[in-house]
Amino acid sequence: MQTVEVSHIVKSFGTTQAVADVSFSIERGEIFGLLGPNGAGKTTTIRIMLDIFKPDQGTVSILGGPLTEDKKERIGYMPEERGLYQDIPLERCLLYLASLKGLSPAEARQRLKGYLERFDLAQHKNKKVKELSKGMQQKAQLISTILHGPELIIVDEPFAALDPINVQLVKDLMRELRIQGTTIIMSTHQMHQVEELCDRIVLINKGRNLLYGALNDIRRRYASHAVVVRADGELPPVAGVAEVVPHNGDVKLVLREETTPQDVLRALVAQGAPVERFEIAMPTLDEIFIRAVGEGGA
Amino acid sequence: MGKIWLVLRHEIRTTLGSKSFLFLTFGLPALFSLVFLAVTALSRGASGIPGGAGGAGDPSRLQVEGYVDQSGLVKAIPTSVPRDILVPYPDEAAAREALRAGEVAAYYVIAADYVASGDLLYVNPKYNFATSRGQSWVMRQTLFANLLGNDAERIARAARPMDVKVTALSPAQDTRDEDNPATFFVPYISMMLLYVVILMAASLLLNSVATEKKNRVMEILLSSVSPRQMLTGKIVGLGLLGLLQTAIWMGTGYTFLLLGGQTLQLPAGFTLPPSILIWGFVFFLLGYAVYASLMAGLGALVPNLREASQAVILVIWPLIIPLMLSSILIEKPHDPLATVLSIFPLTAPIAMITRLAAGGVPWWQPLLAVGLLVITALIIIRAVANTFRAQTLLSGQPFTVGRYWAALLGRG
Repeated sequence: MQTVEVSHIVKSFGTTQAVADVSFSIERGEIFGLLGPNGAGKTTTIRIMLDIFKPDQGTVSILGGPLTEDKKERIGYMPEERGLYQDIPLERCLLYLASLKGLSPAEARQRLKGYLERFDLAQHKNKKVKELSKGMQQKAQLISTILHGPELIIVDEPFAALDPINVQLVKDLMRELRIQGTTIIMSTHQMHQVEELCDRIVLINKGRNLLYGALNDIRRRYASHAVVVRADGELPPVAGVAEVVPHNGDVKLVLREETTPQDVLRALVAQGAPVERFEIAMPTLDEIFIRAVGEGGA
Repeated sequence: MGKIWLVLRHEIRTTLGSKSFLFLTFGLPALFSLVFLAVTALSRGASGIPGGAGGAGDPSRLQVEGYVDQSGLVKAIPTSVPRDILVPYPDEAAAREALRAGEVAAYYVIAADYVASGDLLYVNPKYNFATSRGQSWVMRQTLFANLLGNDAERIARAARPMDVKVTALSPAQDTRDEDNPATFFVPYISMMLLYVVILMAASLLLNSVATEKKNRVMEILLSSVSPRQMLTGKIVGLGLLGLLQTAIWMGTGYTFLLLGGQTLQLPAGFTLPPSILIWGFVFFLLGYAVYASLMAGLGALVPNLREASQAVILVIWPLIIPLMLSSILIEKPHDPLATVLSIFPLTAPIAMITRLAAGGVPWWQPLLAVGLLVITALIIIRAVANTFRAQTLLSGQPFTVGRYWAALLGRG
C-alpha cells in the first residue's frame, strides 16, 4: 500500500500559481526526498498533503485515503519555520504537543525521557524554550515530531542549524525509523544528505514535477558516457577514449559513442594497468539538480 | 472533544502562568485593597474612635454622641436609631464635660429657635469629613421624627409622600423614576462592566493567538488539531479565565464597599430584577464569543503583537457605539435607535444589558437579540476558523483591513 499518493495537485494564491501539477507516490518505509529550488512549491505541496491548504485541483491520499483528524495523530511534521512555545518549560511544551497527537501523559513522559537523554537535552527540560540555543531548539523540534511514534514523518530542512555531531545523530535516527517501517518525507537543499539517505526523490520546479523516481535510476539517467579510474601510476592509452580529464585525484575517461565501459576495462586489464578503482562516472545530485533545473527553466 | 479539552487546559495553564495576567487578576485588586486598607486605617486613626467610620448600614460602628436640646423639640428618639447612641444633656457645659471625660465622641446643640432658623451646632474635637458623614443620619432622623410629632404613620408618609401606581398602556411604556440616581447609574455601571469584561476576555484570545503566531507554533498545531477545535478550546478556556478575572474584580469591589461600611445602597423602592444577572451572563458569553472570535481572526492575520494592538479598534468599534450613545440608551431606552442598537448583534451585548438595567424592555426583544447573537457567533466562529486554516501560514504579510475582511469572507 502507498503511504502517500499525490495526484496532479494544483494550487494558486490569487494570481500566483504555487503548484501547477505535482504528482508522486511514496511507499511505506522509504525515505523520500522532496526537492526543488526556492519557491518551487515544496512547502505548499506539504501543506496540501497535510490538509492545511485545500488543492484547487488534484487529489491527495495519505495512509490509505483522505486526511482525517484521526490520521493527524499518525503523522509527525516539522515545518521549515520552526516553532515551539517560547515562554514555557521545554518538557511541558513537548508534552503538550505530544498530547495533541493522542499520546497519553504517562507514555509521553516515558518516551520523552529517553529522547531527551539521547539528544542531550535532559538537563535542560525545565528551562524555558527561549533559553535554549537554536541547535537545542532544533533538536527539541525533532523530538516533538517523532515522540508520538508516527507512521509518516514530514521534515523540512531537518539538518538546518545542527553541528556535524547532531547531523549524524539525526541521520542515524532517520535510518532507525526507516528500519522500523516509518515513512519519511524529507525536504532539503543539502543534496549530499539526500544522496546518503533517500531511496527515491521528486524534484519539482515552478510547481511541476521535473524528476521523479529511484535515486540510482535518476543518477544513471544523468550519467555521462565516461568512467572514473584510479590507478597506481600512469594509465596506458586506451582505444575508444575521446578525452582524459583529471577528476578529484582520479582520472575520468570520456568515451567515444561506440565504446562501452566494459571495452575500456578489458583494454586496461589486457595492458596490465595497475587499476585500483573502476566505476561508471555518476553525476552528483547537486550536478543533476543544477542541470535539471537549468534545462527545465530554459 | 478530547483535543478541545487539551487546548482549553493548556490555555488556562499558560495564561495563569503569565505574570501580566496574574498581576491584572490578583495583583491589581490586591494593590487596591492595600491602598484602601491604608486609607481606612489612616482615617480611623484620625477619628480616634474604633469604628469611627461606621455608616448607616452598621449600627455597631456608631459612636455615642450627646445632644443639648435648647428648643425642647426632641421628645423621643425614634426606634430606627439604636438605643443609647444619642445621650441627652441638660446644657452645653454638661455635654462638654461628658466629651472631655470621653463618654461621648461629639455633641449637638439644637438652638432654641431651631424650628424657625434650622441652627444646629455640632461639636466634634476630631472632626473630619469621613468620620462625621457616616453618622449624620442619626440626628437627622431624630429631628425628622420629632418635627412630625413622632407619629409613625406621618413619618412613613413623609418619607414617601407619593406612592404612584403607574399602569403601562403599552409594553414599552417608561415606568422609571427619573429622580432616582440609580435610574442612571445602574444601567451605566451595567454597560461599563459588560464592556470591560468582554473586551478584557477577548483581548486574552488576541494575545494568545498572536503569541502562537510569533512563536511560529501555529503550523504545528494545525497539523495536530482542527482550526475549530483550537478556536473552541481557546474561546472556552480564556472565557472561563475572563469570568474568573471579573469575579475577582467584582468580589474585591464588593468587599471594599463592605469594609468601608457602605453596602450597595440602592434607594428605597428601587429593585434590580434578578433576571438581569442571568441576562448579563448570557450577553457576556455571546458577546465574548463574537468579539473573542473576531480578535482571534485578527491575531491570526497580524504579523506581531504590536500591530495586533493597533488593529484592535477595527474589531471593537461596534462595541464602542453603545458607549457613545449611552445617554440615549439610559435616558430613552425605548427610543427606536436604542431598540435597534440592542437588537443588532454587534452592539446588542452592551446595548441590551443597558436597556434591561434601565427596565421596561418587552420580553421578546432580549430573546430576539440572543437569537441573532447566537447565529452571528456561529457564523463568525466558522469564518475565523477558516481564517486560521488559510491565513496563519501567510505570516509576515502586513495587516490590512481588506485582507481581514477578505479572510473572514473566505476569500483569503
